[in-house]
Amino acid sequence: MPLLSFLNPSFLWALPVTAIPVLLHLLSRRKLPEVPFPTTNFLRLLEPREIRRIRLREILLLILRTLALLLLVLAFARPAVTPANAVMNAAASVGLLLDESESMAAIEEHGRPRITEAKGRAASLVEASRAGDAIAIAYASRGEEPVAERGDDRVRLRRALERVEATPRPARMAAALGSLRRTLERSPLSTRELYVVSDFQRGNWPAEARLEIARAAAAGTRVYLVPVTAANLPNHAFEAIDPDVRPGPEGRGMELRARLVNHADAPSDRIAIRLREGDALVGGGDVSLRAGERRWAAMPIEPKGAGTAVSDSAAATPTRITAEMDADALPTDDEWYAVLGTPRRLRVLRIVEARGSAPPRFAALALDPSSNGASGFSVEDESPAALLTLNKARADVVLLEDVAALSGDAEARLRAFLRDGGGLVVALGPHSDPDYYGKRLFPGMIDLALQQPERVPEGGALELRARVAGHAILEGLTVGVGTPLSQARLTGLVRGAVTSPSAEIVVQTSGGLPVVVAAPRVAVFLSSLSDDWGELPFSGAFVPLVRGLVSHAARAASGAPAELVVGMPPRARLTGAPSGVIRVRGPGDYSSTATVEAEGTGYRAVALDAAPAAGFYEFDAEGHTLATVAVNLDPIESDLTALPVDSIRAGAAPAALPRIAILSSASALERHLRATRRGEELWLPLLLAAALLLAGELLLASARKLRA
Amino acid sequence: MSDDRARLLDPHFVSKLARLDLRARLVVEGFLTGLHRSPYHGFSVEFAEHRQYMPGDPLRHLDWKVLAKSDRKYLKQYQEETNLRAHLLVDTSASMGYGSRGVTKLDYARQLAASLAYLILGQHDAVGLFAFAEGRGEQIPARSTMGHMRPLLGLLERMKASGGTDFTASLHALAERITRRGLVVILSDLLDEPEKVAQAIHHFRHRRHEVLVFHILDPQEVAFDFDREAVYVDMEGGARVTTRPRELRDDYRARLTEWRDRLRAICIEKRADYVALTTDVPYDRALLEYLGKRSRLL
Repeated sequence: MPLLSFLNPSFLWALPVTAIPVLLHLLSRRKLPEVPFPTTNFLRLLEPREIRRIRLREILLLILRTLALLLLVLAFARPAVTPANAVMNAAASVGLLLDESESMAAIEEHGRPRITEAKGRAASLVEASRAGDAIAIAYASRGEEPVAERGDDRVRLRRALERVEATPRPARMAAALGSLRRTLERSPLSTRELYVVSDFQRGNWPAEARLEIARAAAAGTRVYLVPVTAANLPNHAFEAIDPDVRPGPEGRGMELRARLVNHADAPSDRIAIRLREGDALVGGGDVSLRAGERRWAAMPIEPKGAGTAVSDSAAATPTRITAEMDADALPTDDEWYAVLGTPRRLRVLRIVEARGSAPPRFAALALDPSSNGASGFSVEDESPAALLTLNKARADVVLLEDVAALSGDAEARLRAFLRDGGGLVVALGPHSDPDYYGKRLFPGMIDLALQQPERVPEGGALELRARVAGHAILEGLTVGVGTPLSQARLTGLVRGAVTSPSAEIVVQTSGGLPVVVAAPRVAVFLSSLSDDWGELPFSGAFVPLVRGLVSHAARAASGAPAELVVGMPPRARLTGAPSGVIRVRGPGDYSSTATVEAEGTGYRAVALDAAPAAGFYEFDAEGHTLATVAVNLDPIESDLTALPVDSIRAGAAPAALPRIAILSSASALERHLRATRRGEELWLPLLLAAALLLAGELLLASARKLRA
Repeated sequence: MSDDRARLLDPHFVSKLARLDLRARLVVEGFLTGLHRSPYHGFSVEFAEHRQYMPGDPLRHLDWKVLAKSDRKYLKQYQEETNLRAHLLVDTSASMGYGSRGVTKLDYARQLAASLAYLILGQHDAVGLFAFAEGRGEQIPARSTMGHMRPLLGLLERMKASGGTDFTASLHALAERITRRGLVVILSDLLDEPEKVAQAIHHFRHRRHEVLVFHILDPQEVAFDFDREAVYVDMEGGARVTTRPRELRDDYRARLTEWRDRLRAICIEKRADYVALTTDVPYDRALLEYLGKRSRLL
């Protein structure tokens, strides 16, 4: 039998109101005046025909009014019928995971941020809870932190939800789900439900998070996935800024490189970038990105003060730069903070072997055509013997160009150089020994296996095509995936194959043979940078390609600035051992202390408290600023592309699949709650019926007479 | 019609005057003032004056003696003098006591009866008066002297509206009592069954009386123009009906019109004259009707 209940039973106290029409009817009859009238008999004659109808109408009106009032009172009391087959008649332990990560601040097409919709769904869940239900609320960005809110006090939980705002932290779904799952498993109630209210960003749902869902379902918990967005919002964002400012083209001015991404199915034309130092505008430019493109973009910058002088060594004068772009769906990732070092040129130690005549200097000319370092590169040509005295103070990047093999000592020194933060570019050639490189030098540096050189038959040529869009090596080339790099003829290369995902093929031939392979700190060009195997040095792509190879190796050597993200403790590299307590100050009223530990040749200071917001954080000791670091939002939150929610179910065991449901819209959630909590609410039909009755009453009252 | 005369014929104005005889005289004089060119003036047996013959005048009134003596054609004009006996029958049942606008139906009937009596006596006709109500009645036999006016007025002033109406009883009794042929003038609201009214009129007609019926109703009885819901109590039977006038007005009016048409048809059938009056209608309408009737009789 269906059960009838009232969600606002206090309104039932208004039921006596329904007696008002009856009382008015009786009172009006009692006080009628008496009028002597001679022709009353005529009225009596009419009575059987008309007066009975009038009385009937009065009774009808009375019934209509009374019923309308009754229905109105009942409608306000919100009656609900719980179906007899409702699955949830017992109190439940409910876990609610609310995603309040940065992406939830994205503005949807209707003008409200995603978090508003998510809070609404969560509030309706709390609102629908019944007496005895135990609710635990966890937040996605807090990861393994204990469940934030717990209890059965609806008012308190609702207020807690009202206070929730999108945070600048990334979601840590797996950890948060694990924490909530364990909380549910400790509940004494046998009925358990887990609701996940999220935008289901593709980047936030790693395999571990899906596994947690599968585990919960396997343990008997009913899992409800509640996506709050149906459409993918286009968004473009910063992902990194190279802290090394370099001289601009032809050695004029300075350039800053920013890594941008366009998370959209359509191109973003002319994204305006503004670079500010404090309040002053110090640079910027327009960038166009293809659909889904992620690439480094260079733009002119003129930092104030001492930042303009180019030197060969890193100075200790940091420049705080804030980069901004036009706001879009997610405004928080349209700003990026960077601490720039003093502009300096990259020192390249070019190792060549003398074979009778002087080796061609194509690569050296590409890097430093005027031999004065104005291009941002200074090149020193040396023989392999020079590697025996190699250290980081001498060069930033080593370029091995068509060297047959290295001695054991030179190789060991080179490896130490790489460990110390140096970069390596290997360009093969007809004299290189593939066995040496593939089997001795590359292991531990880059997972690349080499075979013998391959020459193209006479008259033929290899065509170079970009394989990865927007890779730093291709920074100076305007190419997309599959686009030919150059019309130059390439007639030979060493056949190679990457052996692990850590090595990335950046350029390949149209036949799929790798030409440029990159790994952290290392780049390998599998053909010749000379004119031995073609005419590439004479093409327009040669200079940007060589500079890209060297820049990649140098940039990788300088570390990844994006590692400092909100939600993690700020850390800084210190050159000397600090004395006294290190205090860390940040945006707003952030203040913390830092611990210091040795790291390589220097020290590393790590704050005790996580960074709550993006911005600049200063490490101070005894009144002196030891270091300034920039903390940014995790770029993973910028990709607003939603995961197909159904794919989360795919990881669950077949037996647990029925316990994972998707409530893809607010109405679906409402239907679910009606079926399991509130029952079918009847207020709307009651209200409509009351309106109909009142309309009927108006018609009947205004009619002069009732039709027979 | 001058303003003064109009006021003299207005029931509301006349009702404010205290003495009935004065009222009757004023009404009749006011009425007659408007009839100075009336065709009813002077064709009686008592000579009044001569008037020069005009082509078209009836030759039977030509004064042959003057014609013989002077060869001039003069008509003789007479004060009218007939042996007409008029009997005024005034209904005094309780329903006649109803008046929605200050003048009851009985007031109107009394004033009209007084005016008629004054007019009739002024024309040297005989007039009698009967007050009839259920099971009782008072009468004054017909006389033609002006001194007869006093008892007539006395009876009219004593009349009070009370009791029910029973035409079959009181009118039949009167029909038996009035033996000499004459003009019977009934002033009543006729609130009885039309068939009984028909029988009573038939009885008078059977006695060869001419019958003139003044059917007097209050304007509110015709219009049924009340606003609010009330309990309507019958003034004679005491029946009670609770209703909203707005709801029944149209049907009531239709039924009342049907009833009046039925009474009119009965009168026509019985060759009686029927005049529908309401208490706001000036008296000259009734007086004219009387004179018209009288002229047809003579």
